[in-house]
Amino acid sequence: MRKVLLSGCEASAEGALAAGCRFYAGYPITPQNRFPEYMSERMPEEGGVFIQAESEISAINMVYGAAAAGMRAMTSSASPGISLKQEGISYLAGAELPAVIVNMNRAGPGLGDVTPSQSDYFQSTRGGGHGDYRTIVLAPWSVQEIYEFTYKAFDLADKYRTPVIVHSDGVTAQIMESVDLHLHRKRLPEKKWALTGCRERLPNSVRSLALTPGVLETHNWALAGKYRKISLRETRHSKYMCDDANLLVVSFGTCARICHDAILMARAAGIKAGLFRPVTLWPFPYEELAKLAGKAKKIFVVEMNMGQMIDDVKIAVKNNIRIFFYGRPGGGVPSSEEIFREIKKI
Amino acid sequence: MPSLKQLVKREERFVSGHRLCAGCGEGIVARMVTLAIEKPFIACNATGCMEVASTIFPYSAWNVPWVHTAFENAAATLSGVEAAYRSLRRQGKIDKDILFLAFGGDGGTYDIGLQSLSGAAERGHKILYVCCNNQAYMNTGIQRSSATPRAASTSTSPSGKVLQGKIQFPKDLASIMVAHNIPYVATSIPGKWNDLTGKVEKAVSYDGFTFIDVLTPCRLGWPHEPSLTMEISRLAADTCIWPLYEVVEGRYKISYKPREKKPVAEWFKLQRRFDHLLKPANEGLLAEIQADVDRRWELLLKKSEG
Repeated sequence: MRKVLLSGCEASAEGALAAGCRFYAGYPITPQNRFPEYMSERMPEEGGVFIQAESEISAINMVYGAAAAGMRAMTSSASPGISLKQEGISYLAGAELPAVIVNMNRAGPGLGDVTPSQSDYFQSTRGGGHGDYRTIVLAPWSVQEIYEFTYKAFDLADKYRTPVIVHSDGVTAQIMESVDLHLHRKRLPEKKWALTGCRERLPNSVRSLALTPGVLETHNWALAGKYRKISLRETRHSKYMCDDANLLVVSFGTCARICHDAILMARAAGIKAGLFRPVTLWPFPYEELAKLAGKAKKIFVVEMNMGQMIDDVKIAVKNNIRIFFYGRPGGGVPSSEEIFREIKKI
Repeated sequence: MPSLKQLVKREERFVSGHRLCAGCGEGIVARMVTLAIEKPFIACNATGCMEVASTIFPYSAWNVPWVHTAFENAAATLSGVEAAYRSLRRQGKIDKDILFLAFGGDGGTYDIGLQSLSGAAERGHKILYVCCNNQAYMNTGIQRSSATPRAASTSTSPSGKVLQGKIQFPKDLASIMVAHNIPYVATSIPGKWNDLTGKVEKAVSYDGFTFIDVLTPCRLGWPHEPSLTMEISRLAADTCIWPLYEVVEGRYKISYKPREKKPVAEWFKLQRRFDHLLKPANEGLLAEIQADVDRRWELLLKKSEG
């Protein structure tokens, strides 16, 4: 066991390296500048490739190229940069290429500012770019988790040949916590589909263009089947003090962590509150939430946006239960006391 | 060209109260460039230190209509503004003569913004684009850019045991802009006010896209003593690592020939990003950089002869 003090950016980078990622292309944007900086030092140490691209568009398309060549490849950015990468992410999804994209959410819209936010929830969970596709979305709430989730993201990406988003924010990107660097991928999965030169085999083809009539629809049916399979198998969530909860607080990432403390305060005040935290934002844990919602009387959704995940909560509980919401739009981070005050009002 | 006395009497378009660093070259460049334009103008800023520090809402250091846009879009956004102005003018809804001024850093100009810069130049919008080139992405924490000089240590091209800072030589953007056949391209520095203001005045007199690349010292990124901003920029011209010249309708003209061309190490000495370069072990690398500076200078001399 090796415990070290790392920021979220550094821990995510270490998770990628532990997973065998040896290709990183990035472009600076606050609050994730530490990511490319750290990779510029660590990638060469591990014999990998670090490229500082001239733009986010170039960075994601470098990842597209490296992924097609069979490497475990990644990029990182923050919200405005992720917007620029959407074309590339759509191409990755269409061409069924595995890649990991870390989004350290900052507040928008537009240039917004550099404070933490969760306002890219829709963008991450509804595909983001053009076309009928989804990306797996993992939402860590600690530096330890961003290390583990980035590692896990590479396995999921390879398993389903699909881009995976690690959906974090400016808080987890920049805070420093002790991290147990316990992961190490020794053998990488074989990629028979990769473009590695076809001297002794039939040529492989990786593409997102399908002009022949009917071919694209067939391809999209296959993608839909894959997404359904992911929905059935890869849903993850965590629960805290939910067994006897009357009030179910639903929150993800950094915001869930703030809610966790608020729930401890509520419990001390005699309010039976519990926390349900989706760990995969897509696929969303609809069934698990529906089961718990059956027992609770009220649901309280808390997000660092003006209500995006609440749509998924409504899909899950089908309006059988009263849903309350508290959110702070981009630029504001709630405190535990603030959320506790809101809990008392319910 | 107006004298210094006349310039200081003009109404300031970029005023005090911004939060740029003490000794920042960008503030000086912005003030000189805006003072040199007498007609009314609209300014557009790509994301960068200048935009962040001069427009912290609800404050603004700009006494002109001003629009911000993302890193890659200054030339595109201002193309839209200028095209709209032309249309309104054709329709008779505006009768004033208005100029258009874009500011971008080297990140927003050399790298991510090159596409829109090239597009605007090729279409020939009547825009003066000024690049405040401080040779790295300073606003996000000193990452290398394609304008970063060879061997400069940045946070993504650090000098260490194996590598001695940035591996590549900087891109020659002025030549790329010349290749667009635009009427006016120039290089300048804040350290020679008459060079910079004179070039701005000349640039805005053309009916077309014009471009000035201004080497702009960054005390945090290079880093250097804040009191040396002007001197360091002049030394860049004296060592010919940043020659001052203009290209008027394709014809090269050197604006400043140093009486005595100083060794480039003189310029490196004042900036800590080059500390490693001046160690005895890096003599070879320093000679290689000097040779490149000499080669580019000779080439420029030749171009300006014809």
